[in-house]
Amino acid sequence: MAMKYVQTTCPYCGTGCSMNLVVNDGKVVGVAPYQRSPVNEGKLCPKGVYAHEFINSEDRLTTPLIKKDGKFVEASWDEAYDLIAQKLKSYKPSELAVLASARVSNEENYAIMKFARGVLKTTHIDHCARLCHSSSVAGLATTFGSGAMTNSIADIAESKCIFIIGSNTFEQHPLIGRSVARARKNGAKLIYADPRLTATGKQADLYMQFRSGTDVAIFNAMMQEIIKNGWEDKEFIEKRCVEYDALKGEVMKPEYSLENVEKISGIPAAQLKQAAEWYATSGASSLLFSMGITQHTTGVDNVKSTANLAMLTGNIGRPGTGVNPLRGQNNVQGACDMGCLPVVFTGYQKVIDEAAHKKFSDAWGFPDGICAPQNGYEVTIMLKTLNEKPGELKGMYIMGENPMLSDANLSHVKEAMEKLEFLVVQDIFMTETAEMADVVLPATCYAEKDGCQTSTERRVQRFRKAQDPPGQAKVDWQIIAEVAAKMGYAEQFAWQSAEDIFNEITSLTPSYGGMSYERINKPEALQWPCPAADHPGTPILHTAAFAPAMPDSKGLMTAIPFKYPAEVPDAEYPFILTTGRSLFHWHTGGMTRRSESLDSEVPTGWIEINVDDAKELGIADNEMIVAKTRRGQVNVPARVTKDIMKGVMFMPFHFVECAANILTNDALDPVSKIPEFKACAVTVEKIQEA
Amino acid sequence: MVAKGDMLYAWASDAACLEKGECGGAVTALLKYALESKMVDGVLTVKKGADVYDASVEIVTDPADVEKGAGSLHCGTLLLSKILTKYQDGANNKKLALPVKGCDMMGLLELARRNQVNLDNLVLIGLNCGGSVAPVNARKMISEKFGIDPSDVVKEEIDKGQFIVITKDGNHKGISIDELEEEGYGRRSNCRRCLYKVPRQADLACGNWGVIGDKAGKATFVEVCSEKGADLVSKAEAAGAVATSAADPKGIAIRGKVENAMLKLGEKWRKHDFAALSGNLWDDIQKETSRCIKCYSCIENCPVCFPKEEDLKKATTMVPTGQVPPNPMFHMRRLAHISDSCVNCGQCEELCPMDIPLALYSHAVRAEADTTYLPKLGEAPYKN
Repeated sequence: MAMKYVQTTCPYCGTGCSMNLVVNDGKVVGVAPYQRSPVNEGKLCPKGVYAHEFINSEDRLTTPLIKKDGKFVEASWDEAYDLIAQKLKSYKPSELAVLASARVSNEENYAIMKFARGVLKTTHIDHCARLCHSSSVAGLATTFGSGAMTNSIADIAESKCIFIIGSNTFEQHPLIGRSVARARKNGAKLIYADPRLTATGKQADLYMQFRSGTDVAIFNAMMQEIIKNGWEDKEFIEKRCVEYDALKGEVMKPEYSLENVEKISGIPAAQLKQAAEWYATSGASSLLFSMGITQHTTGVDNVKSTANLAMLTGNIGRPGTGVNPLRGQNNVQGACDMGCLPVVFTGYQKVIDEAAHKKFSDAWGFPDGICAPQNGYEVTIMLKTLNEKPGELKGMYIMGENPMLSDANLSHVKEAMEKLEFLVVQDIFMTETAEMADVVLPATCYAEKDGCQTSTERRVQRFRKAQDPPGQAKVDWQIIAEVAAKMGYAEQFAWQSAEDIFNEITSLTPSYGGMSYERINKPEALQWPCPAADHPGTPILHTAAFAPAMPDSKGLMTAIPFKYPAEVPDAEYPFILTTGRSLFHWHTGGMTRRSESLDSEVPTGWIEINVDDAKELGIADNEMIVAKTRRGQVNVPARVTKDIMKGVMFMPFHFVECAANILTNDALDPVSKIPEFKACAVTVEKIQEA
Repeated sequence: MVAKGDMLYAWASDAACLEKGECGGAVTALLKYALESKMVDGVLTVKKGADVYDASVEIVTDPADVEKGAGSLHCGTLLLSKILTKYQDGANNKKLALPVKGCDMMGLLELARRNQVNLDNLVLIGLNCGGSVAPVNARKMISEKFGIDPSDVVKEEIDKGQFIVITKDGNHKGISIDELEEEGYGRRSNCRRCLYKVPRQADLACGNWGVIGDKAGKATFVEVCSEKGADLVSKAEAAGAVATSAADPKGIAIRGKVENAMLKLGEKWRKHDFAALSGNLWDDIQKETSRCIKCYSCIENCPVCFPKEEDLKKATTMVPTGQVPPNPMFHMRRLAHISDSCVNCGQCEELCPMDIPLALYSHAVRAEADTTYLPKLGEAPYKN
């Protein structure tokens, strides 16, 4: 009989939409609109509309499990904690690695960061931001001094020209897609660059279809055209930027002529010219990008190129402008902010910085100190180390991540994970990764806990508990605190609530320093930086100057030579394979594939093949074929379409039965250590009847 | 004894209802009495959430909790009708009392005509409604047109054609709704077109229109619309929950004038909006729906949409699964389904992530159909 609405924030993408969970007699039974949200005004995408469907799935994990003789056996929390404490204590700090999670709250990420560096004393902590926007964080931090989206979602609607490259915004961030549509209604031009004519591309005023991996050439060509026409913002360059001559020297090279880049990218010169003109002369141009830019061996180069273009034309620091990496997961921004990266504490305070190290060491008060002031391993390096340097890493603690489906070159991932002596996974379902664990701990989903998360526009918003967790499941921070207590550090983890943890976070993190639950409980919440209790938060970054982290607070322009992807098509593997998401699914599908409404829309994966390519190969629409790369092969149904560029193929990566990441290349960007998910060489063949 | 057709002034006897409620707190007091007297098992309240722009719902079973719903919320744009079918089994095995705006009421009537909701189990306190302002737009309007920080507003009201805000410092500022709407602010577009301002199909129709003299601001005008409504007021008065007096005849006349003025304004907006659809509606629908991301919000939130849940999301001849944007027939099929029943509640449009003007289309189609075809389910008990 008793029914109420509990306002909370969506657990899927990084847009940060709010919704009401409908709670009937203590159980979540539906999602209702929350019109008061300044981000989405009650509007939701299909994942949001059906975000309740997986919560009470029958196969939720409800009890700790310990693997005995290859089989999971139910255990009490105490048994599980005893085993974990005993095993983790038996390793040296450098033999342990931790994966935090872009899915859980800031408080929980902070808790596991403190656990890794304070209890385990390991430097090796990372999470799947490595696989999505590590290039953005690295690329923008070195050019602007801050790695986050510069502008806000509502602000995109103020833009006069929106350039989207490597983001299918309407499907992956639908409520940001809405801002794009609103800008267009007000007369803005939309330029869209992607190998696929996606739902986003279909709204474009100018669609530029290009070969995956040729991004830098495209940016350099546009910049050459802008400089040739005198469209650059000379005053902005003069006052706000450095190293313009180096940039100019590179982009003016003949190889970046429109004609030559047409050959490299496949985009007709006239389109490149049009794009350059619109972007440079609109008055307020916004650049949106996502994984299509970052997931390359040149990911950081690509990101720096977006920054170059924005600085060159003065499209930064004003409404309707900006460089806007659209963060993928609900709390990937927050997990990074919380220091779940191998090089920083919270708020990007460097671990190698002596003062920062002392600050955290003193504040935490571990009697036996914390990890060394050294950078640790990225997740991709952890996996390589496991495979290539046996015995160096022995134990791993994973909270809410599923590398067994999300990382590149899955056969290697499996080999690596099998080499672990001891693996703990805390999650809400028995994922592919949890299957490999020695101990599995049942955790809570977004509807079962309090906390906060940080959206792509740096908005820190609340999760609110709507129902009790199933069975014996516990909130992640509580599990971590209890393991820490078992290992002798109860005092450092004596929190009674998520709010207690948040207060500790704000005391140590300048960009969150002015926040409190009272303030973020309001529907507008707060966008960081918010350094003081009376600071209103920051919707637009770099308005008057770039971040203080930059010398003289000036933006750094960079000469970026174009490089081809690590693996390009050849006679044996003649096509380019790129990957992405479906509107109806989320990452490894743990939640969405258990949501009936979403699963019925898209029950399995596919490979997109251009109609002409399909004709030459004799492949029919819906035909089950085999796709092969140097790393593996999968059987997958063909989707023959004219919407994908000839020579390029696409697979969504959600589906274990046709896992795109068996095929993808684990070659890394040298700086961000992101794998090249978005371009590798592939071939497809008909399946021969036995 | 109160009888159907009576026009009354009513106010709460209870101090808390009087203080927290609007215009004498009669609505809150009547809902509370309905629960106290076990006339109903629960009250569906619409309560203030984070602030005056935020409306939330809660079904309460403790009479003391009914006060949570006291006070008006003109920025609350939620629709109650479908909550009953989605989450309360159409009120088939419990009795509920709830306040209803015109759109809530029309939605319930359409649901009842299809046996989806059991009106016998509902006590419906109608609220006169001139329209609501979506929360984010309201804040924008207050910031840009009133020059006031919307977070400083502690109360808003609509009176004598003005949208009035009161700040935490006690300052009042009012601007005529006509002026606001000329400039693109103000009520939701479906509210502007609405011609159902006094929900006379509820058990009672309550509001502040026509409360004059020393009762102004201190009592609620109640039109008794049903035997059930008459019974509730009689018993509540006998029990000392509310006090009433006969409405002032001048007040009744003024109430009629206000209603007529609102209806005229509604006709004006209707003409304006429908005229803009002009001759290219077919193309416009195609163009606008090309942004659709198939979120199903227009179906999930529509009070006159009755999907077969087990089949709605399956592939069909016209609408294959998984396509973004979906085949245009996804929309045409729904439009055909609701064409004779759209109540212009506006939920489909307000909740569309791609701002497709769906309510405008379906309202226009219904309005045209009502003038050109005979009603298949008989004359609707309301006019809109």
